[in-house]
Amino acid sequence: MRNDLELDAIIEDYLLGKLNEQEIEAFEKLRLNDATIDHKVVSHKFFLASMDIFAEQLRLKEQLNQIHSEIDVEGLASTLRPHPSRVVQLWRKYKSAIAVAASFVVLSLVSIYSIQHSTQQAERYRQLSNKVNNAIKTQNSLIRNIKHNNATSDKPNNQNSFGGTGFAISTNGYILTNLHIINGADSLYVQNSKGESFKVKSVYTDPQNDIAILKISDKHFSNLSSIPYTIKRNTSNIGEIVYTLGYPKDDAVLGEGYVSSKNGFVGDTTQYQVAISVNPGNSGGPVLDNNGNLVGIISGKPDQTEGAAFAIKSKYILEAMRAIPQDSLGVNKLSANKKSLLSGLKRTKQIEKIQDYVFMIKAY
Amino acid sequence: MNNSLKSSVPTDREVILGILNNSEDTLNKLYKAYYAMVLQFILNNNGDEDDAKDVYQEGIIILYNKIKAGNFELSSKLKTYIYSVCRRIWLKKLSLNSKKTGSITDYEDVFAVEEDVENHEEKDASFVKMQSALDHLGEPCKTIIQDFYIQNLSMQDICEKFGYTNTDNAKTQKYKCLQRLKKIFFQP
Repeated sequence: MRNDLELDAIIEDYLLGKLNEQEIEAFEKLRLNDATIDHKVVSHKFFLASMDIFAEQLRLKEQLNQIHSEIDVEGLASTLRPHPSRVVQLWRKYKSAIAVAASFVVLSLVSIYSIQHSTQQAERYRQLSNKVNNAIKTQNSLIRNIKHNNATSDKPNNQNSFGGTGFAISTNGYILTNLHIINGADSLYVQNSKGESFKVKSVYTDPQNDIAILKISDKHFSNLSSIPYTIKRNTSNIGEIVYTLGYPKDDAVLGEGYVSSKNGFVGDTTQYQVAISVNPGNSGGPVLDNNGNLVGIISGKPDQTEGAAFAIKSKYILEAMRAIPQDSLGVNKLSANKKSLLSGLKRTKQIEKIQDYVFMIKAY
Repeated sequence: MNNSLKSSVPTDREVILGILNNSEDTLNKLYKAYYAMVLQFILNNNGDEDDAKDVYQEGIIILYNKIKAGNFELSSKLKTYIYSVCRRIWLKKLSLNSKKTGSITDYEDVFAVEEDVENHEEKDASFVKMQSALDHLGEPCKTIIQDFYIQNLSMQDICEKFGYTNTDNAKTQKYKCLQRLKKIFFQP
């Protein structure tokens, strides 16, 4: 028994590397010769390894217990415990899936909305152009009716939106345009080159010359600075270079050409024929010469002739302006006496100056 | 509590390096980071807080040993690994107790960790064997062995602690205890 204990001690010291070289040599010799000792060494080695693992795991467990004691298990458990309500349970279980699904729904709603929105815009655009087309045809037939001394066309106007152009005739918000654009409209708006819309109301109409004067009745409108163009009193000669700024689309478009005839549609003496290619929406746009004098107002174009348009002569603008109380126009009104601020300027500068005075007319 | 736990979740790399360097802080963070996840799983699958603690600690030990053994390849998130291991352990426990395992409420992704869990069970068997051997040993042998092999006390310390007249006596006592322990331990 005593020897056994000593042997165990030697084996352990041997395995733990506590023996000196001589002792190791002696012991290894002994181990080689004695199978029982060898067996004891192996089994003790295994035992020590097991003990090491055991010790390590025990320490780890202790450490984990220590950490565990720092956690508020009760608090956590109460929030994580299966909830009596089935809904909450389902929510917890599938909340990530629900989140994914929800974001998907939101995404698709947004895309559907944007698709609808863009198609709406496209449709409106088409409508607009159609209607303005109609408007010009109406205007053409209107002229024809006058020529034949018939009553003015009673063609019912549709309730849809019309678009055209108009220009300021005073700094305090009077705008002149074609009557056919606003005829029968429920509500009228003008939009300036910056995209700001103002509500307007019609204050004067001249069905014979197809002229209407609108007044901006929007409190957000601030007065314009002085009108850059003047009215030309005399009639223009054939060949005079003229240009017009209009809104055949959402942005202002410049059209340039010359006066091609002193009379308009079928010899109409109230109009010029100008060689400017215009499109639906140009109606009501100012026709100016190189010096910034107002020559006329674009009002329509012949159905069969390309590249020609009719413009109401400028003297009818003066006539129309005379028809409304002069006081209301204010001092800075459009006149024939002043010198145009545009004379001598390059075309680009002229456009820059007049673009704030040319409005898109929207009639609904 | 939950939020403060989540905010200190260590990165997977941090955990592996920390464990390889025996960082207690990392172990602490790791333990606190994913405890709530396992607790939720156990609580919602017929278990209580104590079950959760046992299962979670076993899971952490498996991960710890795997990292220490040096053959841990991060093929998934640690979170998924821990969840999968704990889930596997809990399912085994449930089937052992012949509780119903029909519909398991899952909260995370799961992947196959059967091998790791089986490996661990073998190791754990030897651990349990050593534990029960020690328990059978009785005092003072159990404490002497624990002090020497686990607490790494010197024979001198043990001698003083147990009031032996000299270290040789203590040594003799220790080897007597060791012999008995080995006998119990190696019993088939």
